[in-house]
Amino acid sequence: MKRKLLLGLMAALGLGFAQKTLVFGSNGEPVSLEPGNITDGISIYVQRQIYDTLVDFKPGSTEVTAGLATSWFSSQDGKVWTFRLRQGVKFQDGTELDAEAVKFNIERWWDPKNPTRIDAAARYEIWPELFGGFKGEGGSILKEIQVVDKYTIRFVLNQPFPAFPAAIGSGYFGIASPAAIKKDGAKYGSPTGSAVGTGPFRLVEWRPGEQVVLERNPTYWKKGFPKVDRVVFRVIKDPAARLAALKAGTIDFTTDIPPANLKDIEADRNLDAVFRPSFNVGYLALNPSHKPFSDIRVRQAVAMAINKKAIVQAFWGKLGVTDGHFTPPSMKAFQSPKVTDYEFNPQKAKALLAEAGYPNGFDLELWYMPVSRPYFPTPKEIAEAMAADLSALGIRVKLQTKDWASYLADRKKAPGFQAYMLGWTGDYGDPQNFYDPHFACPIADLFDSAGKPLCVKELGDILTKAATTPNLEERKRLYQQADELTFNLALRIPIVHSQPLLAKRKNISGWVPSPLGSESFETIEKR
Amino acid sequence: MWSYVLRRLIGLIPVLFGITLLVFLFLQLIPGDPAQAILGERGTPEQLEALREKLGLNRPLYVQYLTFVRNVLTGDLGTSAVSTIPVAEELKRRWPATFELALAATLVAVVLGIPVGILAAVRKNSLLDTLSMSLSLVGVSMPVFWLGLLLVYLFAVNLHWLPTGGRLSTDLGIDFRPITGFLLLDGLLTLRLEVLGDALRHLILPALTLGTIPLAILTRITRSAMLEVLSQDYVRTARAKGLAERQVILKHALKNALLPVVTIIGLQFGTLLGGAILTETIFSWPGIGSYIYEGILNRDYPVVQAGVLVVATVFVLVNLLVDLSYALLDPRIQYR
Repeated sequence: MKRKLLLGLMAALGLGFAQKTLVFGSNGEPVSLEPGNITDGISIYVQRQIYDTLVDFKPGSTEVTAGLATSWFSSQDGKVWTFRLRQGVKFQDGTELDAEAVKFNIERWWDPKNPTRIDAAARYEIWPELFGGFKGEGGSILKEIQVVDKYTIRFVLNQPFPAFPAAIGSGYFGIASPAAIKKDGAKYGSPTGSAVGTGPFRLVEWRPGEQVVLERNPTYWKKGFPKVDRVVFRVIKDPAARLAALKAGTIDFTTDIPPANLKDIEADRNLDAVFRPSFNVGYLALNPSHKPFSDIRVRQAVAMAINKKAIVQAFWGKLGVTDGHFTPPSMKAFQSPKVTDYEFNPQKAKALLAEAGYPNGFDLELWYMPVSRPYFPTPKEIAEAMAADLSALGIRVKLQTKDWASYLADRKKAPGFQAYMLGWTGDYGDPQNFYDPHFACPIADLFDSAGKPLCVKELGDILTKAATTPNLEERKRLYQQADELTFNLALRIPIVHSQPLLAKRKNISGWVPSPLGSESFETIEKR
Repeated sequence: MWSYVLRRLIGLIPVLFGITLLVFLFLQLIPGDPAQAILGERGTPEQLEALREKLGLNRPLYVQYLTFVRNVLTGDLGTSAVSTIPVAEELKRRWPATFELALAATLVAVVLGIPVGILAAVRKNSLLDTLSMSLSLVGVSMPVFWLGLLLVYLFAVNLHWLPTGGRLSTDLGIDFRPITGFLLLDGLLTLRLEVLGDALRHLILPALTLGTIPLAILTRITRSAMLEVLSQDYVRTARAKGLAERQVILKHALKNALLPVVTIIGLQFGTLLGGAILTETIFSWPGIGSYIYEGILNRDYPVVQAGVLVVATVFVLVNLLVDLSYALLDPRIQYR
């Protein structure tokens, strides 16, 4: 008892904690620590520390690099992908990573009849979203998965999919220990169960609403990493409270800081502002089913009339860039050098509008989102700014909104909203993930002048070809074409690529935020 | 007395049914499709349909309601549509945090409110009276959110006296296993005094924030109740008998003035249990309030339904206890 009291006293005095603990201010609670069964960023952030994926991304970029697989290649026709696994990698429960283990994970995500899908409530919705469908469904890109030998695994696809390594490397698909999943059943990945991967940290405890505690994985395959002994995810949902905790030193680093707090952080000598490379697009969609917008000149006139630079400067400051590309700047390789941006020129826009037969403008219903998103933190105010610009052409804007669920659903119902704001954040580093959901034929939320789903065949063909062409140089060329085409069509006008604002205390170093939204904490050091 | 208790308990049944119906209908009134709200920008029609089916949203309204009631009666509060964790489990785990905070806030209100109220009544129109009444006016009108952040910035960020939020410091949070979930109690039970101290330090700011409004209300109620009693004949008689003023006030007057005060304490405690949403959010307090708040944001119907139901039930029960406590304070009250 005396010893306990003594220890307690030492702890109270702040002694006896030689271990380096990194405290991350999490803006919410993870939903699940089971890979493939979540889509929320917070779960992925925690999972990223516990699991490794087949391929990884170079720090701070979307470029694929070796992960659990050391090399990979596709067949001539692009339909067969072979991955060679790193040897001697152990899961945190001591079992070995091999091709069978990878197959086990993939089948769990892909096959709805898989016996290890014990929890009927689990959705596994991300697999069909990125790979066309579950096993047995028509759209499924994956046809078969084969174990070639102990350290080689092969994916046989129904169609060529050049972005396959990038997609399978996205944060959703951490490779988990089959033994642990079998042992835990429906509890796996929940607060009462385990979560076992090969990553730099292992799960110690998840106390819902409070914190998730991870500890250094002593058998981690990357020598010399991680740099700290422990990572604690402290749940602090309120942004103001999170900033206070950072200032007070309760937490060491955090994400999701409101852009308005940038000045405050820069003024605090204990803190550093950190910028995550942009990986999103906030756009204004113009729907051709409503008469003026069926004329391309009217759409281009609108694009020319909005002072994008001024709007981005006003609402994002340092935290946003605007250009003509639908893809974010980190995808430069796939962007056409010919696409600069729409020239801000109200006179020219007015002339163009007159030429199209609307010298006195028209009535426009502009829909803004009822919620804040990284790409549009204050949708209403931004919509007002755009409306002010458009009024210079005589366009009479009526701002509209409705609850978020109806907003999302109604824009897809013919004839759709006349003009609306929305955005996209990428899942993995491939332009296909930006273009296909927005421009593949038929376009899900834009309609032609007859009120039918819009299909721009030329663009659709290019995208189909680009998505299935194995040759990288050829793909770059195709996506550059798509870039030019989408720019000229002016169906969705890119307004901003915003940079999420993060912050850390000065004694934290080695933190390289990923454009993809989550990065490993293994390189972070604390003085 | 016991038959009265029994009658009151039976009387609770229609009340609780009414609550389930209200909760259920209110959620139906919210526009938009919860499945779409949960899935967000990317939900495909197939995913939407599957989720609606899973949540039972495709069934007729009365079937949904009956299912809800039947499940509640069997102790099944449903599973969260977002996390797939049973709501009952989560509420059970979070309950002690909310209870501890509400108790501490009530304590703040009682310990400060009653004496100040008495003094203000005894020294009516004095400087103390004016000051306490003005402050209590400020107290009831201050937005909880603002007050909470103000306290955090003053005492945690600038002065470093107290922590910014949570229930335990990170390191203690890692190595301490709660037994009951009431951390102050757990600290004592395990003889971990540093846990007790740390939990207490974490409790101060949220308790002050949450306790401010009841404190203000209680001060005012105590004052007016005292004033009323002090003007009565029996007090004059007591004084005429030559009793010390102290005795007159504390023994004769206070006991009778306490009746409305107890009612208010009970009502406020009930409100605190459910109304701690903002305080729990500012202080990252892992209680029921922040859970319901999250449920509302996510359109997580099972969480909101069950959460509100539990809070309402507790509120009704606390009211019952208040009524019963009258008997102890005032034997003249008859139970028929």
